[in-house]
Amino acid sequence: MIRLHDYVLSASCYKVRLMAALLGVRLDLEAVDFHPGRAHKSLAFRQLNPAGTLPVMVVDDLVLTESTAMLVYLARLAGPEWLGPGTPQASAQVQQWLAFSGRLAASLGLARLHDMLLYTGDIEALRRDGHLALRELESALTECRFAGHDWLVGTAPTIADIACFPNVALSQDGGVTLDPYPAIRLWSRRVRSLDRFVEMPGIHRLHELRPAPAEA
Amino acid sequence: MTTRWIATGLSHDLPNGAVMAGQWQATELAVWRSATGKLAAWKDRCPHRGMRLSHGFVRGETLSCIYHGWVYGTDGGCKHIPAHPALTPPAAICAEGFACVEANGVLWLAPVGMAEDPPRLVDLRPVRTLSLTCDLATILGVEPALGGSDIIRGSVRIGGQDEEICLLVQPRPNGITFHALCSARADVVQVSRWLEALRRSAEEKVAA
Repeated sequence: MIRLHDYVLSASCYKVRLMAALLGVRLDLEAVDFHPGRAHKSLAFRQLNPAGTLPVMVVDDLVLTESTAMLVYLARLAGPEWLGPGTPQASAQVQQWLAFSGRLAASLGLARLHDMLLYTGDIEALRRDGHLALRELESALTECRFAGHDWLVGTAPTIADIACFPNVALSQDGGVTLDPYPAIRLWSRRVRSLDRFVEMPGIHRLHELRPAPAEA
Repeated sequence: MTTRWIATGLSHDLPNGAVMAGQWQATELAVWRSATGKLAAWKDRCPHRGMRLSHGFVRGETLSCIYHGWVYGTDGGCKHIPAHPALTPPAAICAEGFACVEANGVLWLAPVGMAEDPPRLVDLRPVRTLSLTCDLATILGVEPALGGSDIIRGSVRIGGQDEEICLLVQPRPNGITFHALCSARADVVQVSRWLEALRRSAEEKVAA
């Protein structure tokens, strides 16, 4: 059984829930009162994760506190093709994007927490850093288009795409618009078009992929 | 403000069955393409509750508002209101239309009733759309080989070759957006990286 200590509005927690859903892996979710309860900072929770961050994944004796490591675990367990083609170049590129997703969390993610959950911080600097990261992503996806590829690494979606998607798709919650980034907009559509895609508050599915509801 | 065509995007960034936010001068628009490829552009405001229609979704030949699902046809008329399924919506419920045409891989917008066609761009192919936080004068100062106002053109040195560059200017509230094209033989990857270098130089000049 895979237990995930989870908060529904957290981009990092959603990253793991999305990956599990795409792989068809069942998670046992344990809701943590992140806001306003700050239960992730309690003594009991820090016994599990001294850093006091979410999500935390527990599988028997294995305790993971980094969401990108959880993606690796889930993909290795249930869908190794999500780890990428496996060449030295592709494996390094996947790692590069996993680290990059940390920069998205430290800019777009904190801007969102500032605007939504009253975090303190230099909001203008966070938004500026967020735009710099989005420009990098936009350029990479533009070069993917020139090469005829739809995804960050190789020709199929990988954990790199899933790691970067949540904080990008939620950027408008932190006052960062995606209007200047057409390649990101199309990539976001592709992620949301994946079979078994799941939503979170702020990231809706593509309604057009299902038939219109029948009239009563 | 003069009435003219303004580029709002490149064709490859609006596939069939998709909607995006566009702009004509200060007017925000929803630009969308139906499942069969028919283009339409309207003010970015649902006549019902004012929600941005660019947040909506395309199903077949209609665009639906994300808020209450009101369905509009490519002519802008409301076709269906889910909360009143038996009602035929009155003709007065209509999104406010703009002219939207596609030429040379570029999406152009103008108010309805423009007499002339959009500018013709021969022997050029679209590269990418790029937004900058500086003004046009700074760009032209950084790259003196470029000139123009709505359509910036010039021959610049990229990867050891002289390449024809064309930048279609879309003014934005906090800067400008370029829809960039280049000569057909140019290497688009090199041109894309050259554009990023131009942006970096211009923005750093403003910051200095």
